[in-house]
Amino acid sequence: MKRWTSSVAFGVALAAGVAGGVLAGLASASASPSPATTQAAPVAPVVPAGPSPLIYPGETIPIKFDHAMHARAGATCEGCHSSAQTSTAAVDNLIPGEAACRSCHKIDRTQPAKSVPKGEAPARCDACHADGNTGTLEGSPNPPATGPAGQSPTGSHAINNGWMPTAGLGAEPPRVVLARPSLKFNHQLHATRGIACALCHANAAVQGMITRVDLPMMASCLGCHSGKQSTGRCGACHLTEPDGRLKVKLATAATGAAGGSGLLEPSGSLRGIDAHGPTFRRDHAQAGRDESYCLSCHRRSECTDCHGGVVKPPDIHPADYVTLHVADARRNVPDCSSCHRLQTFCVGCHQRTGVSSDPSGGLPGTRANNPFGTGTQIKQFHPPGWARDTTGAVIATPRPASHSVQAKRNIRTCVSCHREESCLECHSSDPTRGANFSPHGPNFGATARCRFLASRNRRACLKCHALGAAELDCQ
Amino acid sequence: MPRPAVLLGLVICGLSAPAWGYDFSIDLRTIGQGYQVRGFAPDGSNELLSRRRLTEYLDLSVSDIGSGAWHGDDGGRNLITFEASLRFDSDFGGYLLGAPSGAAAIPELQQSEFDILYAVLVGRNIAGRLDFQLGRQLHFDLIDLYAFDGADALFHLTPRFAVEAFSGTEVRGAMPLSSPIYELDGTSAGSRDPATRPDQNAELRPLAGVALVAGETGAPFSARLSYRRMWSDTADRQPGEPESGVNQELVALTATAAWRSRVYLSGGVRYNLLFAEFDDEQLALRVRLTPRQWLTLEHDYLAPTFDGDSIWNIFSTGAYRDLRASYEIGLPRGVKAYARAFARFFLSTDDEIATTGPYAGQDVGAAAPGGRTAGGGSLGAAWRRGRGLLRADGYWDDGYGGRKIGVDGTARFQVRPPIELEGRLTGYAWRSDLQPAVTGSGVVFGMQAGGRFQVGKGQHLHLLVEDNVGTYYESQFRGLAMFEVDASI
Repeated sequence: MKRWTSSVAFGVALAAGVAGGVLAGLASASASPSPATTQAAPVAPVVPAGPSPLIYPGETIPIKFDHAMHARAGATCEGCHSSAQTSTAAVDNLIPGEAACRSCHKIDRTQPAKSVPKGEAPARCDACHADGNTGTLEGSPNPPATGPAGQSPTGSHAINNGWMPTAGLGAEPPRVVLARPSLKFNHQLHATRGIACALCHANAAVQGMITRVDLPMMASCLGCHSGKQSTGRCGACHLTEPDGRLKVKLATAATGAAGGSGLLEPSGSLRGIDAHGPTFRRDHAQAGRDESYCLSCHRRSECTDCHGGVVKPPDIHPADYVTLHVADARRNVPDCSSCHRLQTFCVGCHQRTGVSSDPSGGLPGTRANNPFGTGTQIKQFHPPGWARDTTGAVIATPRPASHSVQAKRNIRTCVSCHREESCLECHSSDPTRGANFSPHGPNFGATARCRFLASRNRRACLKCHALGAAELDCQ
Repeated sequence: MPRPAVLLGLVICGLSAPAWGYDFSIDLRTIGQGYQVRGFAPDGSNELLSRRRLTEYLDLSVSDIGSGAWHGDDGGRNLITFEASLRFDSDFGGYLLGAPSGAAAIPELQQSEFDILYAVLVGRNIAGRLDFQLGRQLHFDLIDLYAFDGADALFHLTPRFAVEAFSGTEVRGAMPLSSPIYELDGTSAGSRDPATRPDQNAELRPLAGVALVAGETGAPFSARLSYRRMWSDTADRQPGEPESGVNQELVALTATAAWRSRVYLSGGVRYNLLFAEFDDEQLALRVRLTPRQWLTLEHDYLAPTFDGDSIWNIFSTGAYRDLRASYEIGLPRGVKAYARAFARFFLSTDDEIATTGPYAGQDVGAAAPGGRTAGGGSLGAAWRRGRGLLRADGYWDDGYGGRKIGVDGTARFQVRPPIELEGRLTGYAWRSDLQPAVTGSGVVFGMQAGGRFQVGKGQHLHLLVEDNVGTYYESQFRGLAMFEVDASI
């Protein structure tokens, strides 16, 4: 099989797909977003269960509140959360205080159990305040379930124990505690651009209690922040270090208890292949396709620490890997060249340890001090019939055990011990060198491979062929 | 106070600009390693070569360069940083100090001890349009990894489309303060045969390239189409020889696409203009089966190619295809598990059906040691809870290259905030497929134990000892000590 045949089809297919994407990108980029398009509903995503406790840490909400019921009664978002219109930071507390409630609820602190006429908003303390014994959501990945959409959660929600000032008038009810979210968010900016509250907080109008699990997640943000309508830059929403990288060390006691690493890592909802699963350290080539994406969190030194080939990563190379690597290197799994240069790292070590026994470049096995045994017990690294037959004659025709099959199939193994001089010994066309075995396949001169290489770098050809030789012009 | 002095003071105050503050981050790591490797002495006997390695990293980052007012409302504009990583690496054991010298010296061992891995001035989102890098820089993508000294500029024509241009010279081990790790493979300055042109390795290699980039980070589709050419003048040119030659010329296309946060496609293809062929293709499909389950299917095709100066390109006419599948699942209580499998198929070359000799008419490739296929798989799980981590992995590979089967268990536990302990048990058996009696087979059991201690703010000491027992060693002891200082100002 010619190795490029199916490759062409593969390449054409991928090229067509990408070209289409590029054109689509161009087309979409050329159209500036209109106010109407900024209101486009985000694509309904499949997202992991619950938001990351690193982004939205735990909270305590000892309040009974039914958003859906208030919405049906005519309450507006802005009516209670008035400060949202001017908030510029995600850490701002936008939970309405008692004063906002008083516009409807005729609260009298001297009458904790105050009765009101039927049809009016209740004014008892325990109508809204919970006792704090339930409803604490300290970063739990499995917070209490909220009521079904459109129904009041009262009676089914965990927060249902009312609070009354049993310790006497003046006692304070348990307070709402919201931990600082690890995000940047400017409500004012979004509001002034006409983005309705419901676009991000769709549940608020149809659900009873709203907790951290109802806060918008990244997939929702990406409905607009895809680089088309709004920037897709990670640092636009995530906290950043002074050098622009994302702040990824966000450990809290709550996240540790919940089994988190304390590190902000991609869940895979953005690119799929970027999810930092248990095999990511070994299999991140696809994720590494876009270096700017990796460098939005990582320092370059994190690449060179492993790919610099100096310190052995124990999870990639297990104990005594010097012994084991024989099998891995021949198969090239994992890919040695992703951290090691064969003609320096491998050749240098193999020669120093005597595995590569032939510094003069001659045929293997011809040296008297062959390292794999001495005297009459010489054992050759390569199997019998590798380059010579049992009579010592050089093998000139293809055989299963001959080196030509292995060299064509996986020459990187050869390169880890041999320099080019080893091949020239027999394959050079220089008549003074001897064998002159052509390594070229049938009709090599008629191939594009020959023409392209000869036209771009004739120096490689001149290592075997003399100046002026007809072969240099692929004849 | 005399009036002129007052006036002078007012003038100075009037002319003075706001003070600029920079953020410095310095990460200093000193790593010492001591172990032995078995080698063959010149007389063919066994010898143990001691390695006493000292590696020192100094990573420096200066950020927030410029006025704070430059960075815009969200702090994301006109970000300029300088990042550098310097490395000293040497060996004070017999491995290096006892190496052959003079005419028998091994040039590949005489690498630069001091390396500047990168030193680059980086600008991001300059005027909302430009990203640039200036200096020694390292670039990677799905099918590429290279380093050069020069400049790279990415200009955003629109939020979703950008053009990139870069130019410089390849970082080569022959240059001062340079590591050969990222230079093109296939040639060696250690070659003693003049016909292989070992002097060519010292020639500077200019490179230049352009790229079209579509899609921003959050976009459902992104792609990069790039072209790069690297060349060099002919060293010690003789009459009739070319003035220069191309060392690498590539067109590469990589892309990702996402559908409804559930199905993701990524891949790339590379066309090598030196040989007029596609030499690298990768395609991956990743599907989120449920919020906690992933399935990944991958296909790779690789035809190894080297530096355009290397004759290895002539011999390397084979290629292989890989099919891989992996499954990951997140279980309750912080447990993640996975299963992976792969199969490799070496493709037949044109001349593997022998036309002459004793095997005429036969497929010598299929009958070659190791055959044409390889495969294997692994299975593992990790449990992370609070301050601890437990992990277990098992793997098995067979076919071309040989057989290996092993298990690996890791534990890490933070005793209290400044002290973290870790341990690892490893066992595996392996067997070479070429000729096991010579190239080896064996069983190895290994144990690692160590800890990480915080000795001060931003200062950590990491100690690790390893001992292995196996077919070739009664005891193979290895020690590692790393002291890390991470300071930010």
